[in-house]
Amino acid sequence: MPALARSSLLDGHDIHADVWHAHALSHAALPVLATGDAVLDAELPGGGWPIGALIEILQPPGVHSEWRLLLPALVRSGQGPVVLVGAPQLPFAPALAAQGLALQRLLWVRAVAPSARLWACEQALRCAEVNAVLAWLPQARSEQLRRLQMAAAEYRKLLFVMRPAAARDEASPAALRLHLQPVETSPPKALSDALQLQLLKRRGPPLDRPLHLQARSARMNLLLAAAHALDCSTARA
Amino acid sequence: MHWIAVQPAPDAVAAGDASALVDVDQALAWWALQFTPLVARVDGALVLEVSASERLFGGRSVLLQRLFAAPPVALRHAQGATSLLALARLWARAPDAPIDSLPLHSLAAARAHLPTLMRLGCSNWGQLRALPRAGLVRRFGAGLVDALDRAYGTRPELYPWLCLPEVFDAPLELSAAVDTAPALLFGARRLLSQLLVWLRARQRGVLALELLWELDARRSNALHVDAHHLGSGQGRLELRTAQATQDMLHLQRLLGEQLAQVHLPAPVLHLRLRSLQTQALSGESHSLLPEDQRKGDSLHQMLERLGARLGREQILCVQAQADHLPEAMQTWLPWNPEPAAQPRAGPLCEHAALLPGWLLELPQPLAVHGQCPQYHGPLTLLAGPQRLESGLLDTVVLRDYFIARSAQAGLLWIYRERLSQSPRWYLHGIYA
Repeated sequence: MPALARSSLLDGHDIHADVWHAHALSHAALPVLATGDAVLDAELPGGGWPIGALIEILQPPGVHSEWRLLLPALVRSGQGPVVLVGAPQLPFAPALAAQGLALQRLLWVRAVAPSARLWACEQALRCAEVNAVLAWLPQARSEQLRRLQMAAAEYRKLLFVMRPAAARDEASPAALRLHLQPVETSPPKALSDALQLQLLKRRGPPLDRPLHLQARSARMNLLLAAAHALDCSTARA
Repeated sequence: MHWIAVQPAPDAVAAGDASALVDVDQALAWWALQFTPLVARVDGALVLEVSASERLFGGRSVLLQRLFAAPPVALRHAQGATSLLALARLWARAPDAPIDSLPLHSLAAARAHLPTLMRLGCSNWGQLRALPRAGLVRRFGAGLVDALDRAYGTRPELYPWLCLPEVFDAPLELSAAVDTAPALLFGARRLLSQLLVWLRARQRGVLALELLWELDARRSNALHVDAHHLGSGQGRLELRTAQATQDMLHLQRLLGEQLAQVHLPAPVLHLRLRSLQTQALSGESHSLLPEDQRKGDSLHQMLERLGARLGREQILCVQAQADHLPEAMQTWLPWNPEPAAQPRAGPLCEHAALLPGWLLELPQPLAVHGQCPQYHGPLTLLAGPQRLESGLLDTVVLRDYFIARSAQAGLLWIYRERLSQSPRWYLHGIYA
């Protein structure tokens, strides 16, 4: 009898969706949206950004790599608005449009006060037509984030919260937490620059090695390679 | 002919109810006008003639079902072939009594003569009708016989029919002086529920309405002037929604947000709600498939709420412009419920894919050490220059754009002003 119970427990499909083996990724109970990056997809439970959960992105000061990471998924997230709450700089629409994001989907709430940002964020999550919410909340506390996580889960929205890397040691209710940093390769060479992504928290075993993503678009790489080649040839001449 | 007499139930109008209607009788009349145009007020009750609308609603029983499904207040009602019969049954509290057995006090015209008639041994309609007509007319006047004829349906019944006003305009006297603007919401809520009855009757949604209040004239600062007070002792708040709505909860929330920003210079005793603009509501179409029904508010409701609290200029949409200057390639405009004819932006320039995802609102001057611009350490120029010349008569812009790399912040978009003697460098964009 104990043997029977043991074997049925070991069969991953029989256990509840919110329970998973420590060595395996959770069978996503949540729908996901592919990130557009196979390396990252492979490490995320369900194979993409979870829809209806808080995703926290930590970045060191001065780094704003969120478009590189999120745009492919945002482009495919639907037809509804993408709400930006309190962006750090002007989002440059022509560049975003060139990468496939329809401009009429962009909606920017330019709130400054932290409480206003949180409130606006929650209102956006409660709206049926909104597809995704991107919020920059440098000062949010854990219980405030938890409120957003609950709203995202209830209304099934993509929710990305951008926070400073200093918040790394704080507790967070996020379903997925990651830390982004551009890394310098040695010797310094622009073409091989990578975006180092560390999964701090996911529904699955901890990942101790960082992932390296291509830091720029193919087109930009092409341009930089051409410029580099030009430099080399002039230097030789 | 089929008449229905209705009267609000005595316990329906409880004082102090926050969502209570402001004027129950009027609301009841508006509600009744949804079902038939023949509605009249007789002796404190309402009579409706419904035989003409039976076909429209699909038969008498369906009509009655709809009629009493959701009245604005709890009702008592009775029916009959004539209005006086229906009223008599209502007053006698005998909805099924045969016409001859109805007591005489239920006929309004007979009430004045009740003692005399009682002494004659006459106590119900049948006995009164059996008396000789000529003698009745001589003794009690033509009015009684007339009323009896109308009650039995031998003479036509004509009333001054009620009609729906074109514009909703309801006053409310507050039970106590109100000192703070948010507290006005309690009174406004009652006016809004009255508005809902009117909107339903007209089958319209509200687009704009105004809330007016009268300041206590005995206070010296009643003539105070600000955004909501024009100095005439009256205050005014206008509320607009992007989509015609009957959703009073949404209006209540908007009104609450707006009232939170109003400062009352003097106490308020009178409130008034007026509709400014309404629109016929088209029926809603619900999807058959459950997965299409998403939970949550509509976009308009969300944006209006954001705009009411944070200010309209904080909610921005973008428009692409055909221009060479990076800062003129896009304009962020406050969200507008009725988008004007969008100027068709030209095709994106072919190097748009190489533009940065973030733009600095004001280019940030960079320090220069030697020949090398600095931003958190020295920058290495990777590509460029891309030469940009633009400008009208007043400002001439000559810039060389470079893509530079910072060890800390990744790729940056910087430019050098070309005309100045000592080249000055600016940071203008960040590649995300």
